[in-house]
Amino acid sequence: MKISDLAAMANRNLWRRKGRTVLTVLGVIIGTASIVVMLSLGIGLVESQKKTMAQWGSLQIIRVNQAWEFPGEERPQKRLTDAALEEIRAMEGVVGLSPAFDVWGEARWGRLRGHITLIGIEPGMMELLEFDTAAGRLLTENDRFNVVAGSQVVNNFWDEKARFRPWEGPPPQRDPLELLNQRLSVTIFNANQQKRIYSLNVVGVLSDRTMERAWEVYGPLQQVKKIRDFMNQGRQDQDFGYRLTSVKEGPVRVTPGKKEPKKEEQYSYALVATRDVSHTRRLSRELRDMGYNAWSMADNLEGIEETARRFQAILGGIGAISLLVAAIGITNTMVMSIYERTKEIAIIKVVGASFSNIRWLFLAESSMIGLLGGAFGIAVSFLLSHLLNKYAAVFFNPGMAGPTPPQALQISLIPPWLVGFALLFSLGVGLVSGLYPANRAIRLDPITAMRHL
Amino acid sequence: MPILELKNVVKKYRVGKETITALGGVSLAVEEGEFVAILGTSGCGKSTLLNIAAGLERPTRGEVVFRGVTISKLKEKQMVPFRRRQMGFVFQSYNLLPALTAQENVALPLMFSGLSRRERDKRALEMLAGVGIADRRRHKPAEMSGGQQQRAAIARALVARPKIIFADEPTGNLDTRTTAAVMDLLRKAVKENRQTLLLVTHDRDVAGFADRYIHMVDGQIVNETRGAMN
Repeated sequence: MKISDLAAMANRNLWRRKGRTVLTVLGVIIGTASIVVMLSLGIGLVESQKKTMAQWGSLQIIRVNQAWEFPGEERPQKRLTDAALEEIRAMEGVVGLSPAFDVWGEARWGRLRGHITLIGIEPGMMELLEFDTAAGRLLTENDRFNVVAGSQVVNNFWDEKARFRPWEGPPPQRDPLELLNQRLSVTIFNANQQKRIYSLNVVGVLSDRTMERAWEVYGPLQQVKKIRDFMNQGRQDQDFGYRLTSVKEGPVRVTPGKKEPKKEEQYSYALVATRDVSHTRRLSRELRDMGYNAWSMADNLEGIEETARRFQAILGGIGAISLLVAAIGITNTMVMSIYERTKEIAIIKVVGASFSNIRWLFLAESSMIGLLGGAFGIAVSFLLSHLLNKYAAVFFNPGMAGPTPPQALQISLIPPWLVGFALLFSLGVGLVSGLYPANRAIRLDPITAMRHL
Repeated sequence: MPILELKNVVKKYRVGKETITALGGVSLAVEEGEFVAILGTSGCGKSTLLNIAAGLERPTRGEVVFRGVTISKLKEKQMVPFRRRQMGFVFQSYNLLPALTAQENVALPLMFSGLSRRERDKRALEMLAGVGIADRRRHKPAEMSGGQQQRAAIARALVARPKIIFADEPTGNLDTRTTAAVMDLLRKAVKENRQTLLLVTHDRDVAGFADRYIHMVDGQIVNETRGAMN
């Protein structure tokens, strides 16, 4: 028997009892829609949290700091040297890496005064590390005293002459783009009380997508390193001038580090770009195990996803119950229909239908009920999901209000895989529900069946 | 060698605590191309004999040999190829599927054999034309007269060109005039294709169409008569 014949027969038999079929399908629609909508709530939760988090930092960037040495800790301590960077660069899932130096100092912008943190970074890596500009350009290898400013740097400057009037509220926010092509002069003092003034030219302003970088100014690594070297002159130790060292017993002592004649270069921190979020989490964990102080926005995802999983399991369970009820409905419908069609089953047996023909005739009918219910159930889910997002999202508005308006956050999200899953699942439910009735149909004895009629 | 042979077939039913003997040791041989009628009153065991001969029921004792195969020992599953290709059935109550048109009903055995729709439709239409109701091919059973339905049922029984056709009171629901027409048709059809026909009836006139007919009383064959048509 051909599959097309099977489908045609099943379809025809199904619609002989329209009311009953429609009601059975309705059960599956409700079951499917409740599962899909419930799962979509969980997915929406994770996605909106991800979006919120992405406003604060990228999910594909790990910041690696040197671990501080604490007494009594067993795990290895790693320093951020060039060799260490090579090791990190070679790890699976790392697509980009830049070491960073940070220096800070007083700055002037025209008649305004302020304070900036200047980070040195590999110009070639900026794109991979998800720097992007609202105006101007990123750094290139040829830049020396050109810098890129974060979107909030402009608000670090204030007019000394202007009188401070708290009753007038906070000073108005400046447009970040005002800084573009401006000259900032930064005054750096070192430990020997020597002073140097650097003149920096702002060639780009970062977009305000991530708040993480909004307050910092980024310059070419080699240039910032020179500034840092000057800043560190006269210091006992390159790191902080002091260092926590472990003592076998007794309290922690802060002692001046030994002066070392020639030290390997150590960076303030490093930024690592990963292939995707899953790599970020794994790498972040591995880097911590290696002895670094690694941190990424994606680390927070774990907890959120765990919560969402539980949320989803509970909601999905509620949905599953209604689908189970629908499955029993399918079985009931099929058993009824076999009773009604006892004679027909006998007839088709007599004219040469095999066991598998009969089994598949009924399985095809029950699968069709499942599939129809699944398809309409998905349509209903999209409608419900739309309504939820439109009218109920306000109640679920997460506390962290970012630059993205709250209506952009979806509390119910139906990704394509969920559609596929729901279709397959409802088809499977239909198929399984049909197994028992189909086997009953096979076991019908043609003569007994016919004698009754 | 007969195409169908019943050897000392006994069939007993258990009804409550009583055992009823429907067939008490029946032996019968049907030659290829022969039209045999079994004649008897209601409850004489003739329908049971037909069902056992057709492999729809198992005998309590004895065996049924069809073209050298002891079909009385086959399982339900193993009967499928016989029903598809070698046997045709005609019933008193026509037993057409109510949801299908005449043409689809006739094509049904071919569908289970896996023939393409086009091929099935062609052959079903030929059969319907053969039984004289080609114009009714799009009608559902409920839209046809008893005679037309039985013609469609005969077309269905013949469509797979089986070796043997089993007919259980095929004219039981028809009036006299239609009975004669249907029996003419059935006889002509099987004779044209050298098919074998085993028919059960209580109607002496119907039995008269057969090559020979067998009288049954209380589960036993009492005598045999050569048909009037020979």
